[in-house]
Amino acid sequence: MTVVQAISKITMPRLSRQARDNLTGYLFVLPWILSLLVFTAYPMIASIYFSMTRYNVLNPPQWIGLANFNEMFRVDPLYWTSVSNTAYYVFFAVPLGLAFGLVLALLLNQNVKGIGFFRTVFYLPGLVPAVASTLLWMLLLNPQLGLVNQLLGVLGIGKLGWLGSPTWSKPGLILMSLWGGTGGTMLIFLAGLKEIPQSLIEAAMMDGANAWQRFWVITIPMISTTIFFNLVMGIIGSFQVFASAYVAAGNGAGPLNTLLMYMLLLYRNAFRYFNMGYAAAMALVLFVVLVILTLVMVRFSRNWVHFEDANR
Amino acid sequence: MKSNTVMKKMNRRDFLQAVALTGSGALLAACAPAATTTTDAGKEPQVNQAPTNTPAPATPTAVPAAASAVKISWWNQFSTDTCKKWFPEIVNTFMLDNPNIAVDFEISGGPPGGGNYAEVLLARIAAGNPPDTITLWDPPSGYGSRGALAEIDDLMSIATTAKSTAFYEGVLKSCQFKGKTFGLPASAGVGCFFINKELFESKGLSTNRENLPKTWADLRDTSAKLVEYEGDTPDLVGMVPWDSPWMNSVWSQLNGGTIFDSSTLTYKIDSPQNVEWMNYWLDWAENQYKGSMEKLNILYTGPDVYPDSPFQLKKAGMATSGAWACTDAGIPFKWEIFAPPPGPSGSGPKNFYWPNWFAMPKGGPHPQEAFKFIEHMTTKGWAVWYENATLDTPAWTGISPEVINKALEAQEGRERAIELQKYFSEMLKTTADVWTSPVESFASDTLASAIGEILNKVSSPDEALANAQKVVQAKLDETLKNG
Repeated sequence: MTVVQAISKITMPRLSRQARDNLTGYLFVLPWILSLLVFTAYPMIASIYFSMTRYNVLNPPQWIGLANFNEMFRVDPLYWTSVSNTAYYVFFAVPLGLAFGLVLALLLNQNVKGIGFFRTVFYLPGLVPAVASTLLWMLLLNPQLGLVNQLLGVLGIGKLGWLGSPTWSKPGLILMSLWGGTGGTMLIFLAGLKEIPQSLIEAAMMDGANAWQRFWVITIPMISTTIFFNLVMGIIGSFQVFASAYVAAGNGAGPLNTLLMYMLLLYRNAFRYFNMGYAAAMALVLFVVLVILTLVMVRFSRNWVHFEDANR
Repeated sequence: MKSNTVMKKMNRRDFLQAVALTGSGALLAACAPAATTTTDAGKEPQVNQAPTNTPAPATPTAVPAAASAVKISWWNQFSTDTCKKWFPEIVNTFMLDNPNIAVDFEISGGPPGGGNYAEVLLARIAAGNPPDTITLWDPPSGYGSRGALAEIDDLMSIATTAKSTAFYEGVLKSCQFKGKTFGLPASAGVGCFFINKELFESKGLSTNRENLPKTWADLRDTSAKLVEYEGDTPDLVGMVPWDSPWMNSVWSQLNGGTIFDSSTLTYKIDSPQNVEWMNYWLDWAENQYKGSMEKLNILYTGPDVYPDSPFQLKKAGMATSGAWACTDAGIPFKWEIFAPPPGPSGSGPKNFYWPNWFAMPKGGPHPQEAFKFIEHMTTKGWAVWYENATLDTPAWTGISPEVINKALEAQEGRERAIELQKYFSEMLKTTADVWTSPVESFASDTLASAIGEILNKVSSPDEALANAQKVVQAKLDETLKNG
């Protein structure tokens, strides 16, 4: 008997049609539910439990209540260094990324010959793995040999230490994020721009609105949902910056720990210091902070995001 | 035709149900634990034990395993073409000598299936399904002190080659914690200072090793003679001694101090000798680099002697590296090496070494076979690597003095190759106490951070070292208490 034959013989004679329909539905969502339970829900719940344990991965966890959180907030000076570094990064990388992505999208929204080629080219950096793009940027930002300092030299600006400098290491990292992370943002903005009804633009033009006015009065409000989406995703992504900081800092944390981002400290605790409990606590705090931030942004979005559904 | 008949009996609803059921079953099957990687002796071997995932040139002499061979696994992080060429050879030799043991491994830069080595290894150990043998680039003390590695003292006592006396005493210590041995050192690449002979000669400095710095004062003076400025920015540096954090523990011991005292399991980061050492470096930075790390780092973009380093770009007259760099760095000019000299409060040589460690995670089903393998890899096997690949000085003292590294011989000539090898081997007789702490990585990161603060004048030496001492000792105490 083949498998198909065997399965075909499965019958549910006593079930009503409604129940059978329900069962069929559940069967269809079963793989997704299983995946959610096993790969998402269980690790999240386990992580919450581990955050309240002393757990070195190699031995069973020991319950210590809130001690990890106490250490995090009151003992570990590197924790607040990492928070400060990450906040700096988010504060600059997100708005710059949004602005840069929007400018690119506006440029790529023009009807010029070969626009498809340009769209592809500008999106390509987003496809480069973070490690590879960081290595590339480490070459570009090399104080002696790098192209960035050479260009600054042409402008009469002296050489900067970039990743070797406590002052310039984080701006260097932000520069990397603009190159690698803007492709996706730009693409979403472009989709948003394409959704703007041409009739609105034309009506504004007939009313004598110049390009700047059209941009502020029509384009920005019409893509405010897109801006909101990119903002939320940008903040969540920037708080979790890891690969670029990990590679750029080598085996360390950058000069004066300036590249010690939140996720880098979390990783070091989990896999370098055998301190998975503490790392889980860090992850939980980050999760809570991101949820709160997202809720706050959603709450305040009513003031500036124009949703199509006015009752929202 | 038969299948058509079946299909006719299935309506669309039944078919969709079957698809959903099959999909769910497939997912459940995918979630099931992986099959064990070991095959018990006497059972049919599942795989020919030729090395896996290695390029064609790497497996010309793949050895077929005996039918009753015990299969053991070996995880490593090796990835270079040289590794891909030589490690399969070395493993094959082992399998020829031990036809009852088959080694499953790959040279892919990480664990089988990919992923971060440490992450996957920790996960497998935690899940109770670790590989039989592993190569570590972190000291075994960290894993051993937490009970993750098998103690091998009993196996070593009855071993043919890998007895405790067969390794440099100081190097073997890197595998020990509280008197128990948790692994074997294969290499003990010796840390040393490189000089650019051309730059030295252009400054009228002797390049004869006998005349190279014998004390920290000599070293600092020699460095000062090499320094050149362009305006207020350095254009050539002598030496930047703080560029290699992995040497910190040695610098401390060269000055009569220590970072970690393995005999009493205590940290001594803020000892007077260490404060003196930090003040020495501060003075060095002030006098030679005008106290500005910012300006220095614009020129001095990184440590070591590899391509694109300031040393190879002829922007640094001296740099810290190790024996391995003699064959691997491809330095395009004449160079010489010398041992790190003692400091003002130090009394003699203390040398750094950087091993590849081989160990056996606890609970493996074939400890005898696994030990035989790591014994081979750290003795006769490493001798093959040493001769044919990198000048990674063996930790095994039993290696024949006739074994000459071919690359070094081709590059420097036989006489100098022999002399260099002998020099590095001699250095291993006076090794520093390194790699012995169960919180090695944490301590190393914390100390590097403290030194950064000192050199950037964020904290004074006393203050920064005292803070580091407090944090690291607390971490050690907690680890010793709770694992």
